[in-house]
Amino acid sequence: MGFLEERDLTDGRRLKFEIFRFNPEDSESAPHLDVFEIDEQPYMSLYIALNVIRETLDPSLMFDFACRSAICGSCGMLVNGRPALGCKTLTSALPETIRLHPLPVFKLVGDLSVDTGVWFREMVENTEAWIHAQQAFDPDGQEERMPDEVAQKIYESDRCIECGCCIAACGLANIEDGFLGAAGLNRICRFALDPRDSRDDSEWFEVVATERGVFGCIGLMACDDVCPKELPLLEHYAWLRRRALRAS
Amino acid sequence: MTRAATELPVPASEARRQLRYELISGLSGLGLAVFMWGHMLLVGSILTGAKGFDWLAGFLENYYIAQPTVVVISVLFIVHAVTASRKIPAKLEERRRMRDIAKALKRPAPHDVRDSDLAFQPHLESMLWIWQVRTGLVLLVLGSFHVLLLTVDVLTPMFGEIAGIESGSTLARVSGGLWLPYAVLLICVEFHASVGLYRLAVKWGVGSTLSRSALRRIEQVLFWAILGFGAVTLVVMAGWLDPPLAFLLDGAQ
Repeated sequence: MGFLEERDLTDGRRLKFEIFRFNPEDSESAPHLDVFEIDEQPYMSLYIALNVIRETLDPSLMFDFACRSAICGSCGMLVNGRPALGCKTLTSALPETIRLHPLPVFKLVGDLSVDTGVWFREMVENTEAWIHAQQAFDPDGQEERMPDEVAQKIYESDRCIECGCCIAACGLANIEDGFLGAAGLNRICRFALDPRDSRDDSEWFEVVATERGVFGCIGLMACDDVCPKELPLLEHYAWLRRRALRAS
Repeated sequence: MTRAATELPVPASEARRQLRYELISGLSGLGLAVFMWGHMLLVGSILTGAKGFDWLAGFLENYYIAQPTVVVISVLFIVHAVTASRKIPAKLEERRRMRDIAKALKRPAPHDVRDSDLAFQPHLESMLWIWQVRTGLVLLVLGSFHVLLLTVDVLTPMFGEIAGIESGSTLARVSGGLWLPYAVLLICVEFHASVGLYRLAVKWGVGSTLSRSALRRIEQVLFWAILGFGAVTLVVMAGWLDPPLAFLLDGAQ
């Protein structure tokens, strides 16, 4: 039966974790790497491994998790330099030495924990990422119909869990404040697709077609490669560029 | 319900300017790449021997095709350099940061494919971009030299008796040592053009039915095919190989 059978995926490995430690609240704290060793277990994710470390080796280790199923978007971290979700990354897919850093770009809370909320809130406010309805909501009226195709497309960009992996992997977002990045452009795309949103092309044009928007992007495509939800980020990006061209 | 003004303090004129830059840099790059491929084919006429090459060069000059082309390409070259370079980070620290990210983005090697070289490759498209900047700088120097040299060649017969582009002086120059900068120029221009077109296609979603890997394969085929053709041309020009297609013009006068 394969999948449910207990398979030894681990070779009985002893895993060595090198984890970035720094508490910005503590004036004594200086950035450094701490090394922890634990035994690998079958189907061990980084979520499990970090909990083992916190429970058995160092209760002061800071990291974020909530859903442990790639929905909440809080466990983004650099795994051997590459942004990934801790809950979705199995240790069996990694070498014995695993180096963990917090995501860059975002505000550091401590150790592996970052506050993606500040960045995403600013992005949402800048792009006004909410439905701009023309008519007041009528609670008694019938819901407006939407073709299934459109709903599916909107859902494809609404699947973003705002984990910040695309932003951390973006060369431009790392050196330029205010660049919307893949998450921001994907969010714009979600509302630009929505027929309930009354903003017309010329209004979108001012938001999208800037150095902070689609025309700032230099096309490194790393966002598309690291997205844990495998969103069609490049498709959305190209669609926004073509739309900006039409709107001009 | 009133609509709130957008928070981004960007007037439409600024957005329109960004669009214009993007279009100019993309279209000038596309134009230069297409020209370069056509130019490689024309230069490849040396494969049929000096006679074919001279006939073609004479044709392009006598009918005033070469002269305006040289002017247009020089302008495109400068326009592309100015607009495309606007995205290169100005500070060395910023460029280092981008390179470090590209290197760090390599896939962590899974322990069962630990020996696979692939797992240790830096992020491909990021490295391609960095190499595009590097080859772009080389093109700025060697390309300027090449364009200037050919501008002199092409435009001077309009004012005097010198014979424009012709096989004798070309072969003498290349075999006399110019083969080295031309070889570097050839590799850089093929790389820069094919990678640039690949990125342009991804950016505008050209043929969105094609996946990234399909576009990448097309890019690689173009790169190797034209590089190979150019390399043979260069070897013939340097005099290390007799024109392999000379038999085609054997009967011609």
